[in-house]
Amino acid sequence: MSANNEPNIVAFLCNWCSYAGADLAGTSRVHYPSNVQVIRVMCTGRVNPLYVMNALQQGADGVLVSGCHPGDCHYMEGNYYARRRLGMLKDLMEFVGVDPRRFHMSWVSASEGHKWKEVVEKTVEDAREAGSFEGFRRRQIDW
Amino acid sequence: MDLEKLRETAAEVVAREDVKYLIGWKNGSYGYRVAPAFIEDAEGAAELIFSPLCISNLSTYLTLVEKLPLPRGQEPDTRKIALMVKGCDSRAVTQLLVEKGIERDGVVVIGCPCPGMIDYDLLAEKYPETEGLSEVKWTDDGFLVIRDGEETNVTRDELLAEKCRLCRYPNPLISDIMLGEPVETWEPAEDKGVEEVDKKDVNGRWAYWEEQFSNCIRCYSCRNVCPLCYCQDCILDRLNPTWVNRAVNFSENTAFNIARAFHLAGRCIECGECERVCPANIPLGRLNRKMAREVRDKYGFEPGLDPEAEPFQASYKPDDPEDFIL
Ligand code: SF4
Ligand code: SF4
Ligand code: SF4
Repeated sequence: MSANNEPNIVAFLCNWCSYAGADLAGTSRVHYPSNVQVIRVMCTGRVNPLYVMNALQQGADGVLVSGCHPGDCHYMEGNYYARRRLGMLKDLMEFVGVDPRRFHMSWVSASEGHKWKEVVEKTVEDAREAGSFEGFRRRQIDW
Repeated sequence: MDLEKLRETAAEVVAREDVKYLIGWKNGSYGYRVAPAFIEDAEGAAELIFSPLCISNLSTYLTLVEKLPLPRGQEPDTRKIALMVKGCDSRAVTQLLVEKGIERDGVVVIGCPCPGMIDYDLLAEKYPETEGLSEVKWTDDGFLVIRDGEETNVTRDELLAEKCRLCRYPNPLISDIMLGEPVETWEPAEDKGVEEVDKKDVNGRWAYWEEQFSNCIRCYSCRNVCPLCYCQDCILDRLNPTWVNRAVNFSENTAFNIARAFHLAGRCIECGECERVCPANIPLGRLNRKMAREVRDKYGFEPGLDPEAEPFQASYKPDDPEDFIL
């Protein structure tokens, strides 16, 4: 969380749908919150669920993973795997006591610039409500 | 179970040409101690036991054994390993088969139907350990504890281990040789441990686990004892990328425990070994059982039942739940 109470969001977007969708939002001049740091991956199936944990540990207040709608995956089935694994991760994090508002997953296709805006707004809003997540930050030792 | 029969069968098995050794339980050196036994001959087979103290899951030795590279020209030893299993242990074997961690031809599974094991801590607290060897036996409705020749009857409820209260598969699900008759299954108890955490709110749960994980000393016993934690390149040992720092503090401990629980989701067969060996008494079983419950309820999958099943995290169904997706 930055000084003016703006949450840091890390978003993992698949190259073929959501990244293009976010790009479309940009070229269409759709305004959406600028708190999101986008990391492009080739497929959501490539997102190791521990990335989410790691992002939270290293300063993110919320994490978003977004990919193609089921059935539209460029690699046929990557998003199905992601859905299963990240769904499990969400359950696990909730049980450990990580606010479920800190992690979202969405399907945004290359033509859904407006949906991208809504998803980002929701993610940022939720992370803001959940507040800063200092408890889990990686402790850096200054020698 | 008839010990004579067990020892006889074991002696026959180790006498076979195609069997390298047999892994079972034998008496430890004092008190209630039970030790793993690696048996190669009839003499060793005479030491084997099966009692309410044989709680440890021996299937972990199938993957724990060090496989050194062979000198040139030497043929690999393809003899089988014989292994004694209870109901829960047999599921670990099945899950290892699913993951191709072991080969079916490589093991001789000796099934021991299990009437339920004793919680060692409860036992030692009520009936302190003696210097000499003590014995515990099953009776019709509980256990018989024999310490220094003194016999005490204890009810089953008093000493039964938590994992056994919750057990749904006391009879081995996979076996080549079955010792004795299957036991009657019992109604699994409600999982109060998971519920206790579940009914807290999100901050309450965080506080609960914060207290628990802060105690973790990162000895990795839980990983090493687990029959399904056998990755040669465990993420916890990796330096590049460093998934989890080596520092022992709450943040890293939590990351480690989340990572392990996640890796065991859909694989953990609830043998309870991780929790039993944890020197910090962290209720790891709650974490694993919660995940097992989610996998069962939401995805209709249970690990360790069917050797032909597809590994849970390496498969999907088009209609997997997606109510969490925006
Ligand atoms: S056995 Fe317990 S103390 Fe040791 S690493 Fe595992 S959780 Fe931590
Ligand atoms: S995680 Fe624990 S209960 Fe599950 S299989 Fe491993 S040792 Fe057994
Ligand atoms: S913690 Fe994960 S990576 Fe390490 S051995 Fe267990 S399953 Fe493998």
